[in-house]
Amino acid sequence: MPLKTIASLDIKRLEILNIDGTFDKTLMPKVSDKLLLEMYRLMFQIRAFDERAILLQRSGRLGTYPMITGQEATQCVPPLALKPSDWVVPTYRGGGVYFARGMQMRYGLLYWAGDDRGTHFPEGNNDMIFSIPVGTHLTQVAGLAWGQKLKGQGGVAMTYCGDGTSSKGDLHEALTFAGQFKLPAIYIIENNGWAISVPRKRQAASQTLAQKAWGYGVHGIQVDGNDALAVYAATAEAVARARKGEGPTLIECETYRMGHHTTADDATRYRDGKDVEAWRKKDPISRFKKFLTAKKLWDEKKEKDLSAKTQSWIDGEVKAYEEFPAPNPLNMFADNYDKAPRALIEQRAELEELLKFKGGAKILMSLPPTEGRFP
Amino acid sequence: MKTAPKPAAVRTLNLVQAVNEALDVAMGKDERVMILGEDVGRNGGVFRATEGLWKKYGDDRVVDTPLAEIGIMGSAIGLAITGMRPVAEIQFDGFMPSVFDQVVCHLGRIRSRSRGKMSVPLVLRAPHGGLIHAPEHHSESPEAYFCHTPGIKVVIPSTPYDAKGLLIAAIEDPDPVVFFEPKLLYRSAKGEVPSGHYTVEIGKARLVKEGKDITLLTWGAMTVTCEKAAERLEKEDGVSVEILDLRTLAPLDLDAVLASVGKTGRCVIAHEAPNTGSWAAELSALIAERGLLRLLAPVARVGGWDIRMPLFRLEQYYIPDADRVVMAARKTLSF
Repeated sequence: MPLKTIASLDIKRLEILNIDGTFDKTLMPKVSDKLLLEMYRLMFQIRAFDERAILLQRSGRLGTYPMITGQEATQCVPPLALKPSDWVVPTYRGGGVYFARGMQMRYGLLYWAGDDRGTHFPEGNNDMIFSIPVGTHLTQVAGLAWGQKLKGQGGVAMTYCGDGTSSKGDLHEALTFAGQFKLPAIYIIENNGWAISVPRKRQAASQTLAQKAWGYGVHGIQVDGNDALAVYAATAEAVARARKGEGPTLIECETYRMGHHTTADDATRYRDGKDVEAWRKKDPISRFKKFLTAKKLWDEKKEKDLSAKTQSWIDGEVKAYEEFPAPNPLNMFADNYDKAPRALIEQRAELEELLKFKGGAKILMSLPPTEGRFP
Repeated sequence: MKTAPKPAAVRTLNLVQAVNEALDVAMGKDERVMILGEDVGRNGGVFRATEGLWKKYGDDRVVDTPLAEIGIMGSAIGLAITGMRPVAEIQFDGFMPSVFDQVVCHLGRIRSRSRGKMSVPLVLRAPHGGLIHAPEHHSESPEAYFCHTPGIKVVIPSTPYDAKGLLIAAIEDPDPVVFFEPKLLYRSAKGEVPSGHYTVEIGKARLVKEGKDITLLTWGAMTVTCEKAAERLEKEDGVSVEILDLRTLAPLDLDAVLASVGKTGRCVIAHEAPNTGSWAAELSALIAERGLLRLLAPVARVGGWDIRMPLFRLEQYYIPDADRVVMAARKTLSF
C-alpha cells in the first residue's frame, strides 16, 4: 500500500498596487477611470467620516463606535463589484461597506447612538444588518446565496467576517454548505490583525486564513487588503465565478485595524505602537492617491475640492442625525410580529400607564408620533 | 497550596474589583484553577475583571483563547473532567447562546451520564443585564435558559462582598456554576470586602432589608432598583417593605422565599428578563403551589417586555425602573 500525496495546497496572495503607487500591469484588473475615482472618493470620505464619528463619541454625542480607519480598501471596494440586488452582510465594523452600497450615513450614526431607526438601507438594495454576536450571520449568508441560486438570475451574496471570527464554528458550517451546494457566495475574511486584544497569530495556527477554503471545496485566495486594486480584482473574479454557477470563494483580505477595537477599548494596553506605524506606511488611501496622481487622474486641486465637499457632506449627515427627534418609547412594540399577540398589546398599554405615571396624563400627547407597525 | 492565613483586612471595593480578587484568591490557593476566555489575558478582560492576573499567573493559567465560544465552553468541560478547575469567561451575555449546545446537552449531564464517576467543576462567568448604554446583544438577561437546565447552578451577586464570596464558592463547588455579574453594578456597587479567602454559601438568599407588608423578590442589578422603590414606598405610602436578593437562582432558597412571602402575604418579583417563561414565572408558580393560603394578593411580576431588548436609547423603558416596581407594589398592596 503506497503512501502518496493526494492533495496539496496552492495558496496564492494577490498584490497589485505598491505603497509608492506603482503597480503590476500584468495583474491590473479592467477598471474604468470613473470607477477608480469612485474607489478613491469612497475611501477618502469614509475615513473623514470615521474621524468625525470618533470626535462625536468622545464629546458624548454618540455611543460606542467601531472605527474602520485602515480598512477602507477592504470595505469600500468589494461592493463595487456587486449589483444592488446582490446580498451584502458586513460585520459591525462595516461602515465602509454600507457607504459603498449607498447608505445615508446619518443612519449609521443613529444606530451607534442606540436608536433602532438606524437600520435603514437604500430602497431596492439587498443589504442586511450585521450580527453583533460575531459570525452568526455566516450560515445565513449561505442561505441568501442559496436563494439567489434558486432564483436563477445570477445573483450572489457577499459577506464579511474578521480574523477572530474565522475561529468560530459558524464559518466551518457556512463554508461546508457553500461548498457542498456550490453556492454563489463570496466570503471575505477581513483580517485586520486583531480580535480586540488577541492578535491574528493566536487564532488559527495555519499559515493563512485563506487556506481554510480548501477544506470545503471552496476557492480561496489571500489579497493585500490595503491594495484597492487587488481587492477589486479578487472580488470581481469571485463574483463573476459565482454568477456563472462556479461556486463560492473565500477571500482573506490582510489589512490592519489602525484604531482601537471600539471607542470603549484602549489598544495601547496590548499592542506595540511600532506595528501600527509600520502599517501606516501601507495605508490604502495614500498609495491609491499616488497611483491616481501618476495616472494623471488626480491632483491637489481635486483633493482640496473633495476634502471641502466631504466636510460639508459630513456636516449635513451629522446635522440630519442630530435632528432626529427622540424615539417614542412605544416604538419598541412595533414590528415584532406580523400581528402582535395579546401579551404585547397588554404590555404596550402597561408602558403607556408607566409613561403617564412618570409624566402626567398629557405625556402621551407630547411624545413624537410612533413609528412602525402595531399591532 | 500554602501559608497560614493572615488576618483579613476589610477594604471598600467595587463589584468588578471583588470579582478580580476572588479569581486571584482562588488561583493563589489552588493551582488547578485557570481562566480562559476572549481578551482575559493581556487586556485584563473588557471590564477588567481579570486585570493583572495574566501578569501574575502567566499564559498557561490565564489564557487568551481564539474567538470561539463553543471552543471555550467545550474545552473548559474537558479540562474540568481531567481535574482542572477552569473559569471560563463569555465576554457578554448576548454571546452566550452559542454555548447552549454544550451547556444543555453536556455540562449538567456528565455527572449523571457517567453514573457519578465524572464531574464538571467549572465556572462559566458572564456579565449580565443592561443600562450601561452598550451596543445590541450586550445587555441581555439570559438566566432563565440556564436555570431551566438541570445539573447546573446559577448564581448572580449584587454586592461586592457577595461577588467575591460566591465566586470563590463557585470555583470550589464540585458542580458546574454559571456565574452572572451585573455589569451595571461592576463599578457602581461599592462595599466592604475582606481580603483573603472566604466564601458565601451557594443556595442562600440575602435578606436586604426586613419589612412586614410586602416582599420584593429580586436578583442582580434589580436589587438596587428595588431598594430605591422600597424607600419611596415607605416614605410616600407608609408601608414596610422586605427585600430578598436571591443571589442564587438555581438551586432556589425556597425556605427564605416562602418565609418572607408567608410573613408579608404580598409579593412583587422584579427582574430584567422578559416575563414569559422567566425565572420570575418559576418563583411565582412555586409561591402559588406552596404558599397560596398565606397570600393576600396575587404575586406580581415586573420584568422586561416580551420583545427583544431595544437599542440603548429606549432601554430605560424596557428594563423595569423604580417607578414600575412602585406601581406594581401599589397594585399588590391595594388588592
